[in-house]
Amino acid sequence: MSAVLEETPVPVSAPVRDGGTRAVLALARFEARRLLTSVPVVLAFAVYVAWIVWHTQNSWDGYPALQDVDRETQTMPTLVGLAVLVYANSAVLRSGRRGTESHFATLVMPPWRRTVAHVLSLVPAALLIAVCVAGQFAREAFKPGAVGHGSPAELAVGPLCVLLFGAAGVLLGRVVRSALAAPLLVVLLLFTAAFSAAPGVTDATSWLAPFVVEQSGPTLPSDLLGRPAAWHALYLAGVVLCVAFAAVLLAGGRTMTVRAGVVLSLALAVTGGVLQAGGAEASPELTAARERALVRPELTCVQRDGSTYCAFPEWEPRIDTWARTVDEVRSLAGGSAHERPLVVRQRVDATFGLAGDAAVPPSTEADRVTVGTVWGGNRVPEFSSAVAAVLVAGSEEAGGELCDGRMVTLMWLSLSWQDDPMNALSRVRLDDSVAGSATVLSPTNPMTMTEGQTDVVRHLLEKPLPGTGDRVKAHWAELTEPGVTTARAAELLGVAAPEKADSCER
Amino acid sequence: MPPTVSASGLSLHYGRTRALDDVSLRLAPGVTGLLGPNGAGKTTLLRVLATAVPPDRGAFTALGHDPGTPQGRQEVRRRLGYLPQTPGFHPDFTAFEFVDYVAILKELADRGDRHREVRRVLEEVGLGDVRGRRIRKLSGGMRQRVALAAALVGDPGFLVLDEPTVGLDPEQRMRFRELIAGAGEGRTVLLSTHQTEDVAMLCHRVIVMAEGAVRFDGTPAELTARATGRVWSSTERDPGAKAGWRTGTGSFRNVGDPPAGADLVDPTLEDGYLLALDGIGTEVTA
Repeated sequence: MSAVLEETPVPVSAPVRDGGTRAVLALARFEARRLLTSVPVVLAFAVYVAWIVWHTQNSWDGYPALQDVDRETQTMPTLVGLAVLVYANSAVLRSGRRGTESHFATLVMPPWRRTVAHVLSLVPAALLIAVCVAGQFAREAFKPGAVGHGSPAELAVGPLCVLLFGAAGVLLGRVVRSALAAPLLVVLLLFTAAFSAAPGVTDATSWLAPFVVEQSGPTLPSDLLGRPAAWHALYLAGVVLCVAFAAVLLAGGRTMTVRAGVVLSLALAVTGGVLQAGGAEASPELTAARERALVRPELTCVQRDGSTYCAFPEWEPRIDTWARTVDEVRSLAGGSAHERPLVVRQRVDATFGLAGDAAVPPSTEADRVTVGTVWGGNRVPEFSSAVAAVLVAGSEEAGGELCDGRMVTLMWLSLSWQDDPMNALSRVRLDDSVAGSATVLSPTNPMTMTEGQTDVVRHLLEKPLPGTGDRVKAHWAELTEPGVTTARAAELLGVAAPEKADSCER
Repeated sequence: MPPTVSASGLSLHYGRTRALDDVSLRLAPGVTGLLGPNGAGKTTLLRVLATAVPPDRGAFTALGHDPGTPQGRQEVRRRLGYLPQTPGFHPDFTAFEFVDYVAILKELADRGDRHREVRRVLEEVGLGDVRGRRIRKLSGGMRQRVALAAALVGDPGFLVLDEPTVGLDPEQRMRFRELIAGAGEGRTVLLSTHQTEDVAMLCHRVIVMAEGAVRFDGTPAELTARATGRVWSSTERDPGAKAGWRTGTGSFRNVGDPPAGADLVDPTLEDGYLLALDGIGTEVTA
């Protein structure tokens, strides 16, 4: 028989002198744990993380531009933010609703310190959002085709939004002692977001919102974006602190520190707001740089297999990818085109910043191909078509005006080397069709395929590549002769001619 | 024994209602009972002593600190355990979480020490096995014990208990008496109750209040002794009695000024309490 000595617990008394700071942090941890395990917040996080996983699998066709990716991290944290708003509000109202307020009023920690704890309890949720944002960004950044630079200020918007919504929930709980107020505010915010501003229209007032979604037309080099992201982050941080200090002040925390905090955070928010408003309009220097991007862009040029590739500095890692496409198309061409040195230049219409949606005009210079700032997916056959157009017609502008049998050779060069030529045919056409006439997309002006040309190209793509390739090389001169008919091109390439003459053929 | 809580001239009005009227008292370690009819001012007095409301006039000190100053009030609160008359709960908290939450509000900041203390008080009130259960799933008696645990956490030197046994069944009341008796060892406990048995069994002192004022302040024996010679038995209710009721034996027990030759019986604490309320309109009927 053995005796077991049990240690008798010794009662613990509250510390006599603690300043309460450690207790506030303890309460913040307690509230943070409850917040992060509450049903609405867990659900919102689950949806958010699932969205990140799903989105990053398919986004950007594997070729993200990180200066666009950073902005993509801003919208979805709002979902978590709204859940945090509702929960934080209910946590503030908890004592009032459950009749514990009069009891807790006799405890050491005063209500305003409890409010400080409620505000601090939001920080772990914001940090989790920051981790998710970093994960989303990193997943894109580590894709082999990633280019560009993300902005820490843009990446900070998501976590700051969660802090802002949570602090708004705390403040609301101090102003309106009703559990209905927070859900109503959420509905109001959703309605405001849905109906207030049209995407793509941004001005100084747009930047007063927590985040600014700009309908991204072109992908621009980082230095041409013209978004006052840093000032906006400063503004958001100021608003978050201002709302938090206001909540503490309303809860009775009328200490010098709190009053000074209100004033300083207000100053921070106003400073950030004014500076971001100034930055929302493009400066003369930025406007000039944007205009140069289309006509005289500052590019870095390198040689690959006799051709020259000029890219914005951020896109240099993508040159090898473009070169592989050029080589594939050129290897199928006959005559001198087989070894013709091309100049591939990157161009983008940045005149109106991210709000712009203008097409880049085709180059009139011989052997010059335009490549855009987006890659992957449909952009590959589009660029391939532009290369083929220059090889067949001599220039991009001439390629856009083709309306004869050369279009057959052009499209075969563009598509036949690709993994799934028929799929590439549908993707390069505006209406995703593989029959009938259609517009063919390219980095500059579109081209046109007639119904007959489409039929011939489709038949060619169904045949083995080597046989057709030999015929293309053998009859290159005639196939690229201006005025060659689609019927003649079909005959030379060994497929049936279309039943009727093409509408655009003279 | 030197007093740990000392109040003098406490007065408080709610509008025109005089809730406390010049109340003075001195409490020493041990359990002091506070008896009185509804509206006597017991809860108001407890709320004042628990620093929930300040008095209009008068002052008190608790455990050497004056709650009339902000610093003193904080010091009193650091040493105070308060169980309100109708304690609120956060039903989606577990018993552990609720007491832990209260412990944090009492500024027990160290997590390890605090959790040990929470477990200790939950064991002390007999809820160690259900500490992980949500409060909404606990019985009324268990909730009351959670509230007591919340009052006990942090080892307060001054414990204010406002009718803690209301609504409890006899077994739960017995359990509570054990707990309160234990809590009174080394602490100053002020127990407000309607149950004279609680006072008889637990308290070394008893205070009777009526209409906001103290009507009696002494030991239970002294309160009982007030009724010596003023309780008698009769076959009919004596119309001259202050109070009278039929007992289980069929005879009437009368309290008041007995007629000559009355069949006097031994008084109880309740008899003394009824006589302490004499003249304030309180009536006990059969």
